[in-house]
Amino acid sequence: MKNKNVKNNKNIKSKKKPSYERKKSLYGYGFIALWFVGMIYFFILPLIKCFRYSFYDTKPINGKMELTNFGFHNYINAFTTNTDYLQALVSVLKDTAIKTPLILIFSIFVATILNQKFRGRTFVRSVFFLPVIIATGPVIEIINGNMSSGGYAGGSEQFSSMFQTDLVSQVLEFIGVYGISDKLEMAIQAVTGQIFNLVWNSGIQILLFLSALQNISVSAKEAAQIEGATSWEFFWKVTLPYISPMILASVVYTIVDSFISTDNPVMQIVLSKASEWQHGYSAAMAWIYFAIVGIVLAIVALFVNKFVYYEVE
Amino acid sequence: MNLAKEQKLINKQLKASKKARLKRMKQDGILTPEDIKYNRKKAFGGFAFPLFRFFILFGLCFVILYPIIFMLSTAFRPSQQMSDPSVVWIPKSLTLSNIKDVWEVMDFTGSVLNTLELNIISSLLSLITCSLTGYGFARFKFKGKKFLFAIVIFMIIVPPQITTIPIFLQYTYFDLFKIPTLLTGDCINLIDSPITMYAPALFGCGIRSGLFIFIFCQFFKGLPKELEDAAYLDGCNPFRTYIQIIIPNAKSSFLTVFLFSIVWYWNDYYISSSFFTKSTTVALQLKNLNITLSQQLFDGASVSTRQIIVWLEAGCLISILPLLIMYIFLQKYFVEGIERSGLGGA
Repeated sequence: MKNKNVKNNKNIKSKKKPSYERKKSLYGYGFIALWFVGMIYFFILPLIKCFRYSFYDTKPINGKMELTNFGFHNYINAFTTNTDYLQALVSVLKDTAIKTPLILIFSIFVATILNQKFRGRTFVRSVFFLPVIIATGPVIEIINGNMSSGGYAGGSEQFSSMFQTDLVSQVLEFIGVYGISDKLEMAIQAVTGQIFNLVWNSGIQILLFLSALQNISVSAKEAAQIEGATSWEFFWKVTLPYISPMILASVVYTIVDSFISTDNPVMQIVLSKASEWQHGYSAAMAWIYFAIVGIVLAIVALFVNKFVYYEVE
Repeated sequence: MNLAKEQKLINKQLKASKKARLKRMKQDGILTPEDIKYNRKKAFGGFAFPLFRFFILFGLCFVILYPIIFMLSTAFRPSQQMSDPSVVWIPKSLTLSNIKDVWEVMDFTGSVLNTLELNIISSLLSLITCSLTGYGFARFKFKGKKFLFAIVIFMIIVPPQITTIPIFLQYTYFDLFKIPTLLTGDCINLIDSPITMYAPALFGCGIRSGLFIFIFCQFFKGLPKELEDAAYLDGCNPFRTYIQIIIPNAKSSFLTVFLFSIVWYWNDYYISSSFFTKSTTVALQLKNLNITLSQQLFDGASVSTRQIIVWLEAGCLISILPLLIMYIFLQKYFVEGIERSGLGGA
């Protein structure tokens, strides 16, 4: 039956070319073929291997990983014997939870300002994107002064200390506010102390928001103006909905960026274990971390997605 | 240029006529008190806001430029003046010896040439593959597209640290389909060869390739379809269409991605440190500068960062200088390229 069909088809096909759609989809495969091969060899395969390591005690012998002692012990050990790990995990989560909204608000604020017309805009813009170029490299570590714990404070620490030396409370006293609650003062100091990191970490987000702001249609602006909207109302009712898809993108980017940066404590533990040749253990810790990052991302994305306004096309 | 001037003139005239109209309206008494209040408020805002904006931007620019100013200030001063309390920003005397020392310690000429070669070839390769892949995802329908695109997103999220160790093993005993064994009788050790950087780039898995594929995909989606349809009607196949129609139309986005790729390859030290045993790139040299400095300048004596800070900052300066120069000349493409290209429409 099948044979017959094939034969019949062959007869027809020899006269008729494959359909346009089919041909196009084949070309589609052609375009992604190179990446597909590489993705299997350089991404999926290592990922699976890494996942396998996490269940074993590993020992690199002669280029092959010798895997012994199958089980979940690596995962259990990560929580029970290594007390640093749990602590680092909590601190990273906390840090990200504080940092993300700050970076978001800050970058929206800066992007709105940079979107206005004023003299020297090109200069200011290029200054704001400078961190994108510099901050990914080892230079930032020297700038941050954490190359070694020696008595020297790098640029960032020096800068923060400029603010932190009780400047905040002095300013408050100058204005006439005395005895403000310690907690509030601590909070203000935490923010001012973080200003350097805040500015240096939000280059990409500013870029994203700026591009979104430039996509707001002129007609929307005109309509709002005719209706007599103040710029405050305009921001909340027009700008924010328009850039909300980018808010989602930036939230995801910020969270991922903060989770995978090499100087967060969990990553450091994972990397140090890997350099001690405990690959299985480090892989297990990395996968736990990954699962948590994934869950956090999913929750946040779902939550933010509720407020995202998509223009109906 | 002329157009901008004309625009300015028109704006000026508009403003003047607006002012005149307001004045007339005031004289005629058409304006209600509310209107006057509104106008006053607006005038105040028009004056106060730019001032506020200036201070904010000035402060923030200072935050960003601070380390660079600091770098410039320290890189050219003699080391003794670091502990001189009377010197804060402007050193009493300038010297080029820090730069010279660091240049030698980092073997800068060799490192730069090596890094440039690695960078440019890897970036070009990854540009070709990522754009092809992005185009495939943007314009063709095929089975499993959504799933494959999810893998692209996944590639953006997974940090390279996770996959480096298995890839390292794959390289050390490179034996794909047993071909090397058949040819030479043994597997090949690829560590320390530049292929470790080129191969992933060629196959679309280099540094941040996932992001590049995403950017290209978004950008190609924004191009009008009519361009290609016309080419198809003339009997062009999709690959030729891509080369002859798409690439010329997507120049700015290609340039943007290329620049970002250069920057990230230049700055990368994690991946290159796992695949190269010698520090032959600028980023690796800079990463190890602390150690090499104390070895070569202080005979291995342990030194605090404070003592070698001038050399560290000088090293920083010469390492980012090529990037900075590139940025100054091509800043338009960095800043505006990404707005016009992919990420803008996402």
